[in-house]
Amino acid sequence: MSDPASRKVIEIGPFHPLLEEPVGFSLTVEGERVVAIDARMDYIHKGLERLAQERTYDMVPILLERICGICSVTHSVCFCHAVEDLLGVEIPARAAYIRTILGELERLHSHLLWVGLAGHFIGYNTVFMWSWKYREPVCDLFEMLTGHRQNSALPIVGGVRRDLPVEYFPEARRILDELAGQTARLTAAVLDDPVLSARLRGVGVLAREAALDFGVVGPTARAAGLATDVRRDEPYAAYAEVEWDLVTRDEGDVFAKAVVRLLEIAESIRILRQCFDRLPGGPINLGTLHVPRGEGIGRYEAPRGEDVHYVRSNGTNMPERLKVRAPSFVNIPSFKASCLGAPLADVLITLAACDPCYSCTERAVVLQDRRGGPLPGAPELLAASRRRTAELARELGRPPDLELE
Amino acid sequence: MEAHEVGNGLREAFGSRVEVAVASPKRLYVRVAAVDLPEAARWLRSHLPGCRLATSTGIDLRDGIGLFHHFAVNGQSLVITLKTLLEKPAARAPSLARETAAADWIEREIHDLLGVAFEGHPDERRLVKAEAMADELPLRRGFDVARFKERIGERPGF
Repeated sequence: MSDPASRKVIEIGPFHPLLEEPVGFSLTVEGERVVAIDARMDYIHKGLERLAQERTYDMVPILLERICGICSVTHSVCFCHAVEDLLGVEIPARAAYIRTILGELERLHSHLLWVGLAGHFIGYNTVFMWSWKYREPVCDLFEMLTGHRQNSALPIVGGVRRDLPVEYFPEARRILDELAGQTARLTAAVLDDPVLSARLRGVGVLAREAALDFGVVGPTARAAGLATDVRRDEPYAAYAEVEWDLVTRDEGDVFAKAVVRLLEIAESIRILRQCFDRLPGGPINLGTLHVPRGEGIGRYEAPRGEDVHYVRSNGTNMPERLKVRAPSFVNIPSFKASCLGAPLADVLITLAACDPCYSCTERAVVLQDRRGGPLPGAPELLAASRRRTAELARELGRPPDLELE
Repeated sequence: MEAHEVGNGLREAFGSRVEVAVASPKRLYVRVAAVDLPEAARWLRSHLPGCRLATSTGIDLRDGIGLFHHFAVNGQSLVITLKTLLEKPAARAPSLARETAAADWIEREIHDLLGVAFEGHPDERRLVKAEAMADELPLRRGFDVARFKERIGERPGF
């Protein structure tokens, strides 16, 4: 039922209380249905690629840690991969394990952040508070091991700059053990929740063919049936030496993306435990390296998917060109495939489902009963919500775990 | 498929129109004329299951604008880079946006920063360049940051 005359354009952003970064979405709607979507991206272009051309190979990783508020290890290690590809060198085993530890800690806190935000966007703030509570010890662990919650300044071309303090490993293992139990309970609760199932299953589906056409990566691709993960496809660091499983789903909907991320949390903990147990001795970097003329391509599995860096050297101590392609750059445009035709209310969580480095918004509507009847208060809304949860549980064939009042 | 097998396949299909360099078992660089880019991209995506355009790099070189399309293959370590040199100053190349949706944004970005005109691109609006920049191409060699700041009235050293 298409009626072009009823079309309206809803602008979200570029500045909005719920968007932690400026981005603009234009949603064209016919009634409640979204018929066109466009994104504007030009608010925080920082010119980092050009800045990198004015820094030495030692300084560039520190600059690149500041590309993203979450993926600091990602971009700095990915740049190192590109230069190491140019040089044709392998990094020492200890450095490989240290990079793996950093990368998996980053994936842990990033995935926990997303789970919380996703809960928040659909109005399920219990998930948000629960998930972010568990995220905090991961950031503390990162600080304990590197001196900073976010920017470690550890990766350099040829290895890592400093060693990890092994005296903290027993405490790190204790935190991981605690986290394993907590996140397992969180995962079970989220996957078993009839409200989340009803809200997220079949929503924002990205089909396999569209996923390949848009070239999406990471959990967005793995939830659409594409078994791709740089850690498996092109094993770097210690990923070929530790045991872990690739998580994929075929449904392509928001629920599948949540499942992939939640199960990857358990895999990250599994990888981290092995790395803490098996950290080999030896040097942590290759010392000073001269970068000759040439070019190299680095790939890295960021929490959001494959990161790609292209480096070209003209033989000086600064790169002639650095190209950075973050995973969100290919994941965001796939909204055109997953959002069209969807109701407006579903688009918001669909936009958030690829875990872009910013997220969506929600609207609060206050209804006024013109007949003058009383507006429902908190107790009535809570009772209605419990009734609906029990109904959904019945529809899904689950025993109702909440008593109707 | 390893890099040299893909290289041989491209040589058979394109003959002297491609120049293949195998940098390592997982990195393949293929020189190709701009006019052959769409056909080469089609060949890669139809012969390699799971092949996708990972990204593209634009670079201002002495002899022209380098346009490098990097293709990755899901499930493999292989990255194939199609390299083209476009004549300056008016760099033009056929768009790959009709071959794959993944080319849409990256071509707009290269157009913004290096002024490459992608022929047949369905959407030529700006993507990443600041509104204050008019004809400036910030990744071209002649771009002068100081002069740009002066033109928009920004304090020196700000």
